[in-house]
Amino acid sequence: MNLSVFLKHQWLSFWRARNANKSLAIQIILGVFYFLIFLEIAAVGIVLPFLLKEKMPNTNPISIYTSYLIYYFLIGLLARFQLQELPSLSIQPYLSQNIRRKFLLRFLNTRSLVHYINFLPLFIFIPFIIVVVAPSYGPIAAICFFIALFSLVLNNHFLNMYIKRKTINNAWFFFAVLVFIAALKGLDYFKLLSFEKASSSLFISILKYPILCLVPVGMAIFVFIVNNKYLKTHLYIEELVSENKKKESKNFTFLNRLGDIGEMIALDLKLIFRNKRPKSLVVLSAALLLYGFLFYPKYLATNNFSMLFFFALLITGIFISNYGQFLFSWQSSHFDGMMTYNTNMHQYIKAKFSLFLTVCSLQFLIASFYGLMSWRLLPIQLAAYLYSVGVNSFVTIYVSTFNYRYLDLRKSASMNFQGIGAMQWLQSLLITFGPALVFYLLDHFVGFWYAVLGVSLPGVAGLIFHESIINWLVSQFKIRKYKILEGFRER
Amino acid sequence: MIKITNLRKSYNGIDAVNIGHLELNPGEVIGLVGNNGAGKTTLFRLILDLIRRNEGEILSKGNSITQSEDWKSYTAAYIDEGFLIDYLTPEEFFYFVGKLNQLSKADVDDFLSTYQVFFDGAILNKGKYIRDFSKGNQFKIGIIAALLGNPEILILDEPFANLDPSSQLRLVDMIKLMAMERKMCIIVSSHDINHVSEVSSRILLMEKGSIIKDILGGESAYAEMVDYFKIR
Repeated sequence: MNLSVFLKHQWLSFWRARNANKSLAIQIILGVFYFLIFLEIAAVGIVLPFLLKEKMPNTNPISIYTSYLIYYFLIGLLARFQLQELPSLSIQPYLSQNIRRKFLLRFLNTRSLVHYINFLPLFIFIPFIIVVVAPSYGPIAAICFFIALFSLVLNNHFLNMYIKRKTINNAWFFFAVLVFIAALKGLDYFKLLSFEKASSSLFISILKYPILCLVPVGMAIFVFIVNNKYLKTHLYIEELVSENKKKESKNFTFLNRLGDIGEMIALDLKLIFRNKRPKSLVVLSAALLLYGFLFYPKYLATNNFSMLFFFALLITGIFISNYGQFLFSWQSSHFDGMMTYNTNMHQYIKAKFSLFLTVCSLQFLIASFYGLMSWRLLPIQLAAYLYSVGVNSFVTIYVSTFNYRYLDLRKSASMNFQGIGAMQWLQSLLITFGPALVFYLLDHFVGFWYAVLGVSLPGVAGLIFHESIINWLVSQFKIRKYKILEGFRER
Repeated sequence: MIKITNLRKSYNGIDAVNIGHLELNPGEVIGLVGNNGAGKTTLFRLILDLIRRNEGEILSKGNSITQSEDWKSYTAAYIDEGFLIDYLTPEEFFYFVGKLNQLSKADVDDFLSTYQVFFDGAILNKGKYIRDFSKGNQFKIGIIAALLGNPEILILDEPFANLDPSSQLRLVDMIKLMAMERKMCIIVSSHDINHVSEVSSRILLMEKGSIIKDILGGESAYAEMVDYFKIR
């Protein structure tokens, strides 16, 4: 027995997963997609040192680079809470075999290291070290510097594992670290205490005295040992994965008034907040509300209304495409039940539409504060909102009737392409670029208000005729019902 | 209650279900037996309109189950975990199903209190989501949720296989009582010919999708089944 056998099993499980048998075209698209992401990060890593040299010729690029490292690692830790999953379950089939515990531990640790989040930093560190650090401090210092940085990555890795194992419910911890980072940055910003300076002098001292790189190495080893010790005494699946917190029954009283439809919406809300994957997608939708601060000023300055509309569409309607891309698949594990409970299809589809309407209206109301930035954003966002709920919601429901893929709710969302097919790609294109193009053409050739009107009208029409559209969607759903059910039963 | 004519469902040219004529009546407890692959679960899914049939017709109270959704108001089933919403607590699930059947929270609570013995203190107020319960307890939750709407037709797939002995015996009594008092039509599939001959008033024996025996339940049925399964 050696480790490679286990890793080979993991490799097989990855490729033989039910949903991995996607069509060739999708695999190629995904491959290109991954490749582009890696390329982009590598490009940033390579361009960064030159950029620093060029833009700020008077300052030392190393001192700037190192001053941000403290934030880099803290944010890295934060990102890991969200993106990195514990591979605990992968040892379940081996626990009852004649394999020593020590070995399983080694497997668990090695397996956990194989994660893109551990490889990405290399792209940011290595080019900088080769281009900037090595010429000024010499090869030995550069190598030690790299060792120090990579040890900190490993330190973060095992720290995250440990924290996640100890506190399965890490939402509070996540916010604590977030507040901590914000506080550091705040102190920096108001020049009360300079952590950037501290960070810079810490890392530069490693360059001056390379032997100091043993400190982060020691830290990484320490965290590794603590983590290992904990694992050794808790090598029971129950203790590694299950949550022991008491779950409470919830009742959304404000939805009670809506009768059965309210009940269905409450069901969707519980689905979102009690399962990893939909939860992270929805948190992302909420975070997108902040996009306005990033993009609106830029396009307001140049009066580029169609780009403003495009982002308004994302801000007010992203929930529809994020949650809607798996509209029925979210419930795939109990879809047999959904189809036999005492309710009818019309109610079921209408509940989905009502969910979209509720959440998007909320997002629209919050986004209206952007009106303080410029009054022009108000009509643009209103048009985007009307189009989202009046057209995109129905398009999304329609497209969902073509999704026959089972979805495991408990897996996290990052880099998870389970259940994604060609339809999802088409859908995202259709519901964002389509209306943006219409807006652009109308704005360009006729005028701003015509563009606003041009995209609002179909939305308003959709809202007025929603009953008949839902009836039509029900008939479409019924045509493909058996296929959906069959697909969902295939796990 | 349910009338099946010329029903056929095939996968890759092989018949999974092929039934010429079958009528199921109120007050009957129908035991469905047969070895693996005989088509029991497929038949259930056909009756619940969860898979598309190739040919034939299924009428529930005279209405085609594919044309009208009325059957949902008086039909309940538990086949597997696919009928449970696993991220809810049992209470939430019961209230949800109750609400769909026009039962208030208080109604549901009243109803649940009559099944306390069956739950054996292992289901309610446990502070767990359904997905964290054992398979046997999930089965109990599914069965009780199915009974919530006071259905006229009840379909249970292998209920005895997952329950502990005490619950099996309780379920046998419950089924008999419901069929008698409420004139329900109950269809139960099982590999346990002992329980099935005790609980059923009528036994259907399936083989390769067809019903090859349609006999009365009881001791003689048990003997007949033993004869059949011995030589298989």
